[in-house]
Amino acid sequence: MGDHTHDPFMGDISDMIEQEFQLREAQKQRPLQEQERKSLRLEALICYRQTLIDLQTQMWKDEKKAQLRSANIAFQKQLLQLKRMHGRLKVKSTAQQEEEKRKEREKKLKLYVTARDVCFSKRKEGVFDEEALQLTQQLLSSNPDFSTLWNYRREILMHLETVREEDDVQKIYESELSFVERCLRQNPKSYGSWHHRGWVSARLPRPDWARELSLCDRCLSLDERNFHCWDYRRVVVRMSGVAVDQELRFTDRLIGSNFSNYSSWHYRSTLLPLLHPESPEPPSPTPQPAKASPPPSPQTNNHRVCEEQLLKEYELVQNAFFTDPNDQSAWFYYRWLLGRAEREEMISCVYVSREVERVAVCFSKPVHARAVGLMLVLDGQPQRVEWRSVHPRLRHSPVWVCDLPPSTISDIGNEHNLTVHWTEKHTRRDCALYSGRTQSWCRDSATDQELFRSELSVEKTSVLQSELQSCNQLQELEPLNKWCLLTIILLMRALDPLGYEKETLAHFQTLKEVDSMRSAYYSDLCSKFMIENTILKMEYAEVRVFSISDKKLSTLCHLDQLLLVTHINLSSNELERLPPQFCMLQCLEVLEADNNSIEDLEGVYQLPKLEEISLKNNKISKMEDLAPLASCPKLRRLDLRGNPVTQMANFLSDISELLPSVTELLL
Amino acid sequence: MGTQMKDVVIKPDAPNALILDKHADYIAAYGSKRDDYEYTLSEYLRMSGIYWGLTVMDLMSQLPRMNCEEITEFIKSCQHECGGISASIGHDPHLLYTLSAVQILTLYDNVQAVDVDKVVEYIKALQQEDGSFAGDKWGEIDTRFSFCAVATLALLGKLDAIDVNKAIEFVLSCMNFDGGFGCRPGSESHAGQIYCCTGFLSLTGQLHRVNADLLGWWLCERQLPSGGLNGRPEKLPDVCYSWWVLASLKIIGRIHWIDKAKLRAFILACQDEETGGFADRPGDMVDPFHTLFGVAGLSLLGEEQVKPVNPVLCMPEDVLRRIGLEPDLLN
Ligand SMILES: [Zn+2]
Repeated sequence: MGDHTHDPFMGDISDMIEQEFQLREAQKQRPLQEQERKSLRLEALICYRQTLIDLQTQMWKDEKKAQLRSANIAFQKQLLQLKRMHGRLKVKSTAQQEEEKRKEREKKLKLYVTARDVCFSKRKEGVFDEEALQLTQQLLSSNPDFSTLWNYRREILMHLETVREEDDVQKIYESELSFVERCLRQNPKSYGSWHHRGWVSARLPRPDWARELSLCDRCLSLDERNFHCWDYRRVVVRMSGVAVDQELRFTDRLIGSNFSNYSSWHYRSTLLPLLHPESPEPPSPTPQPAKASPPPSPQTNNHRVCEEQLLKEYELVQNAFFTDPNDQSAWFYYRWLLGRAEREEMISCVYVSREVERVAVCFSKPVHARAVGLMLVLDGQPQRVEWRSVHPRLRHSPVWVCDLPPSTISDIGNEHNLTVHWTEKHTRRDCALYSGRTQSWCRDSATDQELFRSELSVEKTSVLQSELQSCNQLQELEPLNKWCLLTIILLMRALDPLGYEKETLAHFQTLKEVDSMRSAYYSDLCSKFMIENTILKMEYAEVRVFSISDKKLSTLCHLDQLLLVTHINLSSNELERLPPQFCMLQCLEVLEADNNSIEDLEGVYQLPKLEEISLKNNKISKMEDLAPLASCPKLRRLDLRGNPVTQMANFLSDISELLPSVTELLL
Repeated sequence: MGTQMKDVVIKPDAPNALILDKHADYIAAYGSKRDDYEYTLSEYLRMSGIYWGLTVMDLMSQLPRMNCEEITEFIKSCQHECGGISASIGHDPHLLYTLSAVQILTLYDNVQAVDVDKVVEYIKALQQEDGSFAGDKWGEIDTRFSFCAVATLALLGKLDAIDVNKAIEFVLSCMNFDGGFGCRPGSESHAGQIYCCTGFLSLTGQLHRVNADLLGWWLCERQLPSGGLNGRPEKLPDVCYSWWVLASLKIIGRIHWIDKAKLRAFILACQDEETGGFADRPGDMVDPFHTLFGVAGLSLLGEEQVKPVNPVLCMPEDVLRRIGLEPDLLN
């Protein structure tokens, strides 16, 4: 936004912070240790921040904004003349003004309709001449979204290509580019103009990509968030082979002069994995030419950034959020940097029950088992089994079950060996069911500990520790900054989720207060972290009991991790439902969920071993809410005290009809 | 210090009650301004304009006030030899208007008014080698067009006509570091685009591939202190973005992450009490586009005076029930 180079304050912010740091470094007069360097940097940042405040940054920022705003208003006024749907201020006017306007519009309408009709009829007659170019130019200048006219222009240009000399064609296309540039100046957000520019540039006999790149530079200096222009820039970069590191330096420059630039941070997230991939493949400095398969996305597994670069990025982001802690762009980027890679695709657990004659398989991600080539081999024999998701509403699920043919494994004296193959991923998991045993499982325990942690290597814990230290420093200066609080929570989780549990809960409490509009988000996120912690504790204790009561849980997640759990206690939380995913708890025998607000039991469905349910003091109010329980064959004890449903007429006879297996009913 | 947030202030005298009658009158009258300069300038999107108007009328149970025969005839005359449908007579066919036309005909339970097989052929021919869709024969690629293609085919019950797997891979390749989606691979996340991509993944049964917690966070951070939602960080709130964001949150099962009461107040404040209709922001000029998304947003927020709206197709739920279409939602 604007031209920063003439602004005494708006130099390169990154440079200014760097100078501050070097000043401190020079005072030491000796080489610095890594740790020392970091704390000096932090000092420099805090000092820089103080300087900013002292300079009453708010004042000049406001001034700057006011200037921008008035420039913007002038621009908007120009646009008012065009037919636009956004930001048109309603202005009251007198009857006389209305009448004048009406007349003017009538005149414009007549001109417009005449020109349009001439265009349409010429095109119908197959006329591709200069006059048509002129007419469409007039119309498109005032209405660049009239896409059919761009199409007509392209037809004319393609026709001229066949009848003119190459030099002539070059000239025609060059003047077309000038015309498009004028359109873009008037309306920089028209899809049609940008697409046409790309079309012309690609067709030019002697393309000039350098000029296109400089057009992008100019356009982005007027509006650094114009996504049409950013997209066009990516086309130009690809077509002309601009090096990735050159583009990265371009974002350095933009971010350096204004940290609050989400588009630039976004662009970085796409460039870094190309330039500094996590995998040891050599970096490719120039982009591949356009290819048929879509390019990688920064969200996918193998496109994370190598650790060394990651550390440099942390510094850049730190500069940003110390300069302006309320700017969300840097925080979003930081969360991505702190993120972990997806889990490896594998079968994480196989469970077999002799009694139920059923096999349950847990995958590291949701799949559709019938589509991924899942095969069960029992004692060397491939079995014809039907895989089904644990709940009909979950078409993709991490947990799938199948029933074995009757009496295949029911004899307790026999030993059996099972293998489940995931043929699509060339992976498998074996499981042995020894004689004398009623059940067995085999699972991947190595990942349990790291399951919910950051994927940064253990050696780099010190790095995260120092990141946490700087965020804590910032939080001291800005105790109610929500971005900083949330980031502290994420860092604590990456470092030591159990050790920091108390602080995490306290920070969530503050977050809900300072950002009450999003309190439900924070509740759900906090629930997720508490569930992760409880899973970790369960793993350490090597038990099959999952107990998480009185933790303000508002949602359930990671239920696939609870496949082997036999007893669950969810009492005294804020749950409103047991969702379909709940029936991933295939081994569950006892369910306690007293003192919640549960009104929906959809997930208590076909749980083969479930015997006892306690749902005291919930909000179950209708008979049909209890219907899923009828699919649990072993249910014998049900406690429904304190639920509205028990007050209904005929409740007792209805429930014994619905759940004949229940012998102990508490109302 | 700190970034000054871009937002609007809702004045104390801003409308705070829903004035449905006025909105219905506004839409009913809109089509009669045909000699209007501005109306003529918007001819290039007429088919979508009609879809906005009819859908909001149906949500308000006022569809019979619109001229069904005239509109059906108009749509028929906009279908081209290639099967595609254009915004208006004399304009070129495009996926955007093909979807709008099929949505309108679905409201009227009359898709047979156009040559359905040809529509399907048209869409099929626009799919590219990498699974993406061009908007028309001139080759502009955009995830909006991926959505248009599958939404049209889903309404026609013909999703199997295209290479769905390739189409899915393309859309997923547009996923960004923030969990959102852009126009093309590498493009910045944008609420309108996120709506198209989550809607696309819903219709193709692939919502489990969305990083719902991360995307949901980005989406709920679109809510500003005024209660309105913006479409990207550091932008002004807008009724239409309120819809794109809200519908996306509904699709990924996280609509409770925003403050519903504050959003409702913002949307209501965008009504024009004199003329009827909704504007993008309080005090701006109204138009049918923002009127639909204002009413549809209120419907998603649980407003009982209007019909329930489907978040994926932005059409009344009863219409989709009639044709047996139930797009997935995460829970
Ligand atoms: Zn809008």
